[in-house]
Amino acid sequence: MVTKEEVKHLGWLARIELSDTELKRYTSQIEEIIKYLDKLDTIPLEQFKPIVAKKKFADLRSDEPAGFEGDALGTKYRKDGFVKGPRMV
Amino acid sequence: MALYTLGAGHVAAGIKSREFSAEEYVCQLLERIEKVEPKVNAFVTVSKEALERARAIDKMIRDGEQTGPLAGVAVSIKDNICTKGIRTTCASKMLELYVPPYDATVVKRLQDAGAIVIGKANLDEFAMGSTTEFSRHGTTRNPWDISRVPGGSSGGSAASVAALECTISLGSDTGGSVRCPASFCSAVGLKPTYGLISRYGLVSYANSLEQIGPVGRTVSDVVSALNAIAGTDENDHTTAGGKPAYSLQERKGLRVGLVKEFIEGADLAVAKVINKAVDTLAGQGCRCEEASLASVQYALPSYYTIATAEASSNLARYDNVRYGFDLSPEGYEWNSYFAKARSNFGEEVKRRIIVGSYVLSSGYYGKYYLKAQQVRSLLKRELKALFKKYDVLIGPTMPILPFKIGEKVDNPLKMYLVDIDTVVANLAGMPAMSVPAGFADGLPVGLQIMADEFQEQTMLVAAHLFEQAAKMQRSPEL
Repeated sequence: MVTKEEVKHLGWLARIELSDTELKRYTSQIEEIIKYLDKLDTIPLEQFKPIVAKKKFADLRSDEPAGFEGDALGTKYRKDGFVKGPRMV
Repeated sequence: MALYTLGAGHVAAGIKSREFSAEEYVCQLLERIEKVEPKVNAFVTVSKEALERARAIDKMIRDGEQTGPLAGVAVSIKDNICTKGIRTTCASKMLELYVPPYDATVVKRLQDAGAIVIGKANLDEFAMGSTTEFSRHGTTRNPWDISRVPGGSSGGSAASVAALECTISLGSDTGGSVRCPASFCSAVGLKPTYGLISRYGLVSYANSLEQIGPVGRTVSDVVSALNAIAGTDENDHTTAGGKPAYSLQERKGLRVGLVKEFIEGADLAVAKVINKAVDTLAGQGCRCEEASLASVQYALPSYYTIATAEASSNLARYDNVRYGFDLSPEGYEWNSYFAKARSNFGEEVKRRIIVGSYVLSSGYYGKYYLKAQQVRSLLKRELKALFKKYDVLIGPTMPILPFKIGEKVDNPLKMYLVDIDTVVANLAGMPAMSVPAGFADGLPVGLQIMADEFQEQTMLVAAHLFEQAAKMQRSPEL
């Protein structure tokens, strides 16, 4: 059972503001979706290891920054060469 | 001559031999786009630079300079693949003003081969959907019947190819997003083996599942695009080594397995066309028999667990601070700004982020995500065993015919169920493609062909053989 409070909490964790209408609609839809995903819990899978990536970290290229030409930022909210974000507190 | 109807090989050859110019060809396409777009709505953006680029290619040819195998060929690019200087919106409000400072590897490689980006193709927001109805730019309509969906999420890619608005398109396929619209629009669409094509510059949705793939009107056009874009890329460490080259070779006595679970789950009208396709292949000397993929019943819950989990994580980056839409940070506190900005994701994206957050919640990880990853191993093992017996596996790409716009949009689970036949290839990381198989009630049906990892050549041999025998390539009246 998925509750409205759970959906509201998940919305908050994902930083998505949800209206009351959305909350109502999503709760019933998500409940139906989760019920469908519950099918996974019915399979005996003990002998199967989860699929994993083949490459090792040692195979990765070196992590060197490479900048783009010109102004790569897409915001007009700037001050003194910095991007302006919302206040922290 | 209607140059916009030509295949990639003819276009490049015609331009190189100066039978016609790239400018004439692109002009015709732009006229075509102007004529049919009000009906189809396949594009988010039509490129302003396409004509200029065509003139540059004509000049190179006049000057005797070397041009690539796709010289002058017009391609549309799904709008979740970055194009330097051309807005890349993912059909989302969240990226409505985003202009990438770089080209995706696939775009760069197509351009290096001489191709011209004619526009950005419509999609479901962030590639989440099976109909292109979840686009901020309006629904793309199926060129065969504009009251119906073109499939998705690369609906604009397949529709632009089918409606003769470009020659080739690139889409992305996370759970069938290239093959589904290819099937619904009677085009050829290919999802490669995971790691064959670089994802650098593809806006991530579910990175362990998705691959970029070409769409064309013929297998030959898809091969041309694939040859230009496939191969290792240092900017995507999940790409495999080497640079493969595919061709339209012939091979006798292909062993073909018809996946019985796929055919049993399909509508009667679809199954009928697919059974006829089996006869066609048998008539070409293929050894066809029924095969069983028993664990396919677990594929869809596994897919939607992994896709939503990865989506919730990938889409966490959209905070609207460094790029996004115009929303002043003034007057907002840190968290409330993000929650406000992110409420502008569309309905389906929000739904998937929340489902993803749910399945990744503490205590649920073992119940959903871990099990879903185990199902991938199970499916892969079963498929590997089948590919010891068969060169290719076939079935319908989609279990149903293209349906009416709006029919499933309010029932997400019902919408998810149409992906049943396509998600298997993504979960197992194996290649699969859709080829036009015929029509039922005037609507296209696609034949899905799957092969073992990195066996694209075998898959293309089977697709070409079928295409030549079935002769199903045709264009809609618009």
